[in-house]
Amino acid sequence: MSPAGCPHVNGFKVDNWKQNLRLIYQCFVWSGSAETRKRKAKSCICHMCGTHLNRLHSCLYCVFFACFAKKHIHEHAKSKRHNLAIDLLYGGIYCFMCQDYIYDKEMEQIAKEEQRKAWKMQVLDFDFDSCVGIGEKYSTWEPTKKELELLRHNPKRRRITSNCTIGLRGLINLGNTCFMNCIVQALTHTPLLRDFFLSDRHKCEMQSNSCLVCEMSQLFQEFYSGHRSPHVPFRLLHLVWTHARHLAGYEQQDAHEFLIAALDVLHRHCKDDNGKKANNPNHCNCIIDQIFTGGLQSDVTCQVCHGVSTTIDPFWDISLDLPGSSTPFWPLSPGGEVSVLNGESHSTGATTLMDCLRRFTRPEHLGSSAKIKCSGCHSYQESTKQLTMKKLPIVACFHLKRFEHSAKLRRKITTYVSFPLELDMTPFMASSKESRMNGQYQQTVDPFNNDNKYSLFAVVNHQGTLESGHYTTFIRQHKDQWFKCDDAIITKASIKDVLDSEGYLLFYHKQFLEYE
Amino acid sequence: MKMEEMPLSSPDNTKLEALMHDIYSELVEDACLGLCFEVHRAVKQGYFFLGEPDQESMKEFEIVDQPGVDIFGQVFNQWKNKECECPNCNRLIAASRFAPHLEKCLGMGRNSSRIASRRLARNNMSKSESDQEDNDDLNDNDWSYGAEKKGEPNQNSPRRSKSLKPKNGEKVLVKRSKYNHNTGISYESLGPEEVRSLLTMVLCPSRSQRCPQHTDEQRRAVRVFLLGPPALHSAELESHSFDIPDGQMSRLQWVESPNVSPSDSASSKASTNHPDSRRPKKKKTLSLNSGGGSGGLTEGSGSSAQSSLSLSSRKKKPKLSAAFISSIYDDLN
Repeated sequence: MSPAGCPHVNGFKVDNWKQNLRLIYQCFVWSGSAETRKRKAKSCICHMCGTHLNRLHSCLYCVFFACFAKKHIHEHAKSKRHNLAIDLLYGGIYCFMCQDYIYDKEMEQIAKEEQRKAWKMQVLDFDFDSCVGIGEKYSTWEPTKKELELLRHNPKRRRITSNCTIGLRGLINLGNTCFMNCIVQALTHTPLLRDFFLSDRHKCEMQSNSCLVCEMSQLFQEFYSGHRSPHVPFRLLHLVWTHARHLAGYEQQDAHEFLIAALDVLHRHCKDDNGKKANNPNHCNCIIDQIFTGGLQSDVTCQVCHGVSTTIDPFWDISLDLPGSSTPFWPLSPGGEVSVLNGESHSTGATTLMDCLRRFTRPEHLGSSAKIKCSGCHSYQESTKQLTMKKLPIVACFHLKRFEHSAKLRRKITTYVSFPLELDMTPFMASSKESRMNGQYQQTVDPFNNDNKYSLFAVVNHQGTLESGHYTTFIRQHKDQWFKCDDAIITKASIKDVLDSEGYLLFYHKQFLEYE
Repeated sequence: MKMEEMPLSSPDNTKLEALMHDIYSELVEDACLGLCFEVHRAVKQGYFFLGEPDQESMKEFEIVDQPGVDIFGQVFNQWKNKECECPNCNRLIAASRFAPHLEKCLGMGRNSSRIASRRLARNNMSKSESDQEDNDDLNDNDWSYGAEKKGEPNQNSPRRSKSLKPKNGEKVLVKRSKYNHNTGISYESLGPEEVRSLLTMVLCPSRSQRCPQHTDEQRRAVRVFLLGPPALHSAELESHSFDIPDGQMSRLQWVESPNVSPSDSASSKASTNHPDSRRPKKKKTLSLNSGGGSGGLTEGSGSSAQSSLSLSSRKKKPKLSAAFISSIYDDLN
């Protein structure tokens, strides 16, 4: 008998007690079907004062309901010497001798089973077709007796609090591999990705041990191990070079290229985590696609018949041109658009991320040399093309094109671009564009629409020139703490440090996650 | 009836509001009760305080925010001695030098391709040089042989002749070479050039295709001896362009084989004496070869390896063969 139980239940555990107990649970506690719910509502009232509330209990020995608050059930227990009662709301068993709720193993087992049955029945009772089928009521983890003992014997706990270094770790530079290190830091601090790997959700289907997703999983283990010495990611480098040959070679690489290659390899290796074959790239349900893949809508409008041809392409990142590059940056669009979102004004003069996004989504007039065949006119006509976001990814990565490789020059554009901590992508959505076209020029901010709100969580910076430079990353932990990751050295950083930095890759995470 | 549709100043409204309030407070109370039960159970079962962090651990993992040290309280740049094991070659490499090592180890990157292409280029000229080639550019001694490290006086052909000749008890390692004595190679799979170089090795242990001790003719003789007529035929036909009617080709082959094995003096003499005796002799030679020709061949070939052979130029070959057969006849008869 466990310390949570009591000896007084033995009087109850005679004859057909199990079946009786089940019946009580089915009828009066966990009402699965509509019928039992009705019956409970009608019959469960205090036999003494007639109330429905006040913590109704049922006597375990006879059919008697009484409330707890007014002690009516206590009176019954005393007079009839029925010393066990059950709470009709949560099924807890009260012993009047111990004067406390008790937890008997056998009785709890019955209670759990009946609850599960009732839960399943409740789900089936729903009549909307898109019911997901919860099936199982969530129950928190409870340690077994053995586990309890172990935990008591080993009192040291590694708990992640807000002032904790667990989750942060330096990475050794293997020889010009800072481009890899900075991306690894950004990925390991992507909340959804972290949760996926720490809950061990990857089931490897690959025969060889060259699965990059497994290595990624191992990386998370290293980061959360509590080790303070920097990790040596040599296996990761080997795997990446094996699977992405175009990146191989001991020379300086581009962090953005590495990000795309890494996501690609992870996506390819991730295929069967949901039990579905994902040969079709449009229907992949792997974690990489769930987190990083968005849809970019491209609308080509014929200037003559105004017919629109739309295509939607998947994307993992948005590459933005900067002022100062050989491609023209200003003016932004034929009409010029003003946005009052994000508290901006152009009087400061500095280019903002919003400017870059506005330029990205502006209607672009394709010249007479690039006529598109219009299906409406059945001939080649001049047209305008516009890009908008059809579907936003959970993690949006913005790539500021600082490395210019045009025919005339190769240089790094160091123009400062200011980026916000919080970003609202609503003006760049395809749906917003449609409402703009319908005449609603000024976007009214809907405070209840949280779909497009993003928060910055990682910034990759490049210091140096085109030929030789160094990558570092700022990452965000525990809501508002920022850290600078410079290969093996992790230091605390301020929000100001982050927002004042040049910015090369900007990682934003959706603030609110909805069920699909 | 929807709530919004109710007029606000109705006497039923207060009742409704009271009801609403009752339901709301009941829900809240039930939720609180649920929480109480959870805590009560956890305490009674003994696991409520189990997850609480201990002070010692809290201190251990606290973030440090001071100049000169990282968040773990460690001084910068103390990680010079980190090592890792290369997944490809299993050697222990310094972590900061791992990337350049891996590049060469896997054979990728611009340096490796340069080395590889240079190796391929030299492979066509001289096989012995090629084995030593990639050692030049590598910093780390991935491929080091005992032979390589000896000081070489001759700069034009570095480490070539001396080290590769097998000496007493010394092993010569051949890296990535097809011409491994231990592996069985079928001659059919090799191209004519490869066969040539392979058999040259048999003749001359120096493994060079430009060995000064032997001539082309000698090499060709060995080739034919080992491979027999078909191989020789294909090799030879590529180099000459004399017209042979198709029907005659097989006979020519038969004829040519004894040609290689005999002593040089006889053949060269025969060629000059009988330039046009080709066609009529063929019929005779065919029958001869099927019978005793092979015997003669074996005898002749036995001596060929040891004696220095010199054959006349290839152009004269067809005539030579016919003429030579007649000389064999003479000898036998």
